[in-house]
Amino acid sequence: MTHWRRFAAAARVALAIVVMGACLPAWAREPLSPDAALAHLLEAARNAGPEACAAPDADRLVRIVCTGHIRVGLRDYYPLFSMRVGSIRKGYEVDVAEALAARLGVAVEQTRVNAASRIPLLAEDRIDLIIATMGHNTQRDSQVRFIRPHYYRSETILVGPRNLAISGWNDIPGRTVCVTIGNGSNANLVSRGARLLLFDEAGVLPERLKDGTCTLAAQDDSFFAEIFTHPDFADRFEKKFGFAQVPWGMAVQKTGSDKLARALDLISQIFHRDGVFLELARRHRIATGFLEEQQKVWRSPACNTANGSTDPHCILPALNARLEPTSFAGAVASFEDWFSAATGIDLSLPMLTTVPAWSLLLSGIGNTLILIGGALLATLLFALGIGAALSSPVPPLRWLAKGIVVLLQSSPIVLTLVVASAIAHALFPFSATVAIGTAIAALGLANGSNAGQAIAEAEMTLQLERAAGAQVGRAPFVRAVGRSATQIVAFLINAAKGTPIASFIGAPELLSALTDITSFSSGRATTYTLLLIFYTLVVMLVVSVCRRLQVLLESGRAAT
Amino acid sequence: MIALVERLWSGFMPSLLAGMAVNFEIAGIAIALGLALGFLMAVARLRGGMTGTAAASAITLMRAAPTFVVMFFLLNALPRDASMSGVMTVALSLVPYSAAFVADAGLDALRHLRGGSALAALQFLPNVMRAFFVLVMSSSAGAAIGVGEGITAILHEAEQLPALGDRLILFAIGVVAFGVPLQLGFLLLRLLQRRLGAFLTLGRAHS
Repeated sequence: MTHWRRFAAAARVALAIVVMGACLPAWAREPLSPDAALAHLLEAARNAGPEACAAPDADRLVRIVCTGHIRVGLRDYYPLFSMRVGSIRKGYEVDVAEALAARLGVAVEQTRVNAASRIPLLAEDRIDLIIATMGHNTQRDSQVRFIRPHYYRSETILVGPRNLAISGWNDIPGRTVCVTIGNGSNANLVSRGARLLLFDEAGVLPERLKDGTCTLAAQDDSFFAEIFTHPDFADRFEKKFGFAQVPWGMAVQKTGSDKLARALDLISQIFHRDGVFLELARRHRIATGFLEEQQKVWRSPACNTANGSTDPHCILPALNARLEPTSFAGAVASFEDWFSAATGIDLSLPMLTTVPAWSLLLSGIGNTLILIGGALLATLLFALGIGAALSSPVPPLRWLAKGIVVLLQSSPIVLTLVVASAIAHALFPFSATVAIGTAIAALGLANGSNAGQAIAEAEMTLQLERAAGAQVGRAPFVRAVGRSATQIVAFLINAAKGTPIASFIGAPELLSALTDITSFSSGRATTYTLLLIFYTLVVMLVVSVCRRLQVLLESGRAAT
Repeated sequence: MIALVERLWSGFMPSLLAGMAVNFEIAGIAIALGLALGFLMAVARLRGGMTGTAAASAITLMRAAPTFVVMFFLLNALPRDASMSGVMTVALSLVPYSAAFVADAGLDALRHLRGGSALAALQFLPNVMRAFFVLVMSSSAGAAIGVGEGITAILHEAEQLPALGDRLILFAIGVVAFGVPLQLGFLLLRLLQRRLGAFLTLGRAHS
């Protein structure tokens, strides 16, 4: 009964609130619109007066209104977005800058920026606003104040020939993809089993696709947007799929730009809602999927409010680009500084400074040692097997072994690996284990067939000696192995030296791991120098061990 | 099957042959540079002393350096202004192997010459030819850095063939394409060795 009384009281209160709400005027019931908030903000800036204009701590919005122009950092060469021909820039971003300035009631003063200079120029107060193809990530959040909602979003797209059936990630393992060094999406491709072919500049990718060097290329869709306007390219190639979306943000200084940022937030919101961004994008023939999505968002009552640009349900998060540092990253940095000061050589050890790179390095070293050990064992086993088959009294077995040896001797090791990989992928789904196993088998077969041939030839000499009446002993095969010890050891060393080629079929050994690390970090020169030293030392160690094996085999021959 | 063969014959074979020409070009550059460097090291080793020790150490390091890693080292560790073509990068990556081989074979030849055995010294020629064929096969590593050689042509064509069976036929053609010159080369090698032997034996008989 008490519960019923409480419920009835609560219901009466709720009803009263609803009735009161219904009696209020509409403007008071609705949240403040972005248009009204913007108008209020601009009016306050315009009425600030001359003393506010001269104040050193004046917000940039006031300063811009006072001077009558906004200094915008724009790129000089980014097709369809901002291209300068003579003294005139054209493109989506140029038009966005003009539209924003018009809304603020000021003129645009264009300043040339590039990827390296845009944030420093803003920090030096030489520009008020960046609109320069800048991806919004958590790393940059600490340097500039991004305008929300974002004015564009790009993604990495995979481009390939139209007649090549690629529909998703399942078609990627083992394929070679041409990418540019430092592209943030490279890590995605690596994690899906793609082999990366690295280039310094994105500009070469279309040509490499055309001449067949690259079957697939991955790059920002904004880069390919202009390329696809060329009929000869669009007829042959197409976008396969996209991934790794990055929102693009305009940005202002973190300090002294609060009102300007707020005004630009509201304008961006209005531009999305009213289709201004969409119209400008269509005019310049860039992809509009993201802008169409955003228009729906900003037209919805939930987001079309003065506070929409701060509502996490309406805006997009920044891309998390922070790589977790290792616990000893500080010590590594100190060592790099000390080394550079002591020797004058710029040392960079990216494989030790972040957790992803460090784990890649450790697994790369581990896989390399497995690969070398496996290749040595496989070479030895195949050598003994093929040697025995070539010396067999059964003719079909001998012919089969001869055929295999000729086939393997006629095939470059890269081709042998590719054939083995194609067969392995037909039997098993792609994985690091399968790639390593395939590489071990291919390297073992290629080198073991040669060593096996040496064993068979040694056995033949023993048979000739026996026919001539010489004492051969009780175990001719063991003696043949001993007699061909030099050749066996030579091919064992060759197998160890050949292991880095396994990276070609996606085996995640050290070369592959370091290529992946350098695809998203700096320090390539140091990285590959250390790699060369590592492999050279490992091979020298293998040589030393193999020489001992040679002594063992030869002493075994002497014992029989 | 017929359609595949027609397609391979018309479109693929010309690009494969053009690619294989690049393999031979790379091997040619590598053997030429290897001969120059290797011969100098062989002479240094023959003279002995500090220079000989240094040459021996260099040869040991060159023997141990994997070609594939050297190639990536050249591609990534050299200064930007020292940029070179892909073909040259692959050729230079093969130089440690060819120079070490030439140094070893050259040292043997020089010792045989000193010992008065011209026939044994002349074995240097077929050995160099053998190294050349090894270099032709090894130059296929260039496929990993986008050099348009034979294996690149095969892989590019393979990407267009969805069926494993078709791809295996393509790979078989590739093996034959590389195998025929290789086996012919070895045949030529054996002929050369016989001719040299006969020539020197004849020379000795006349003198």
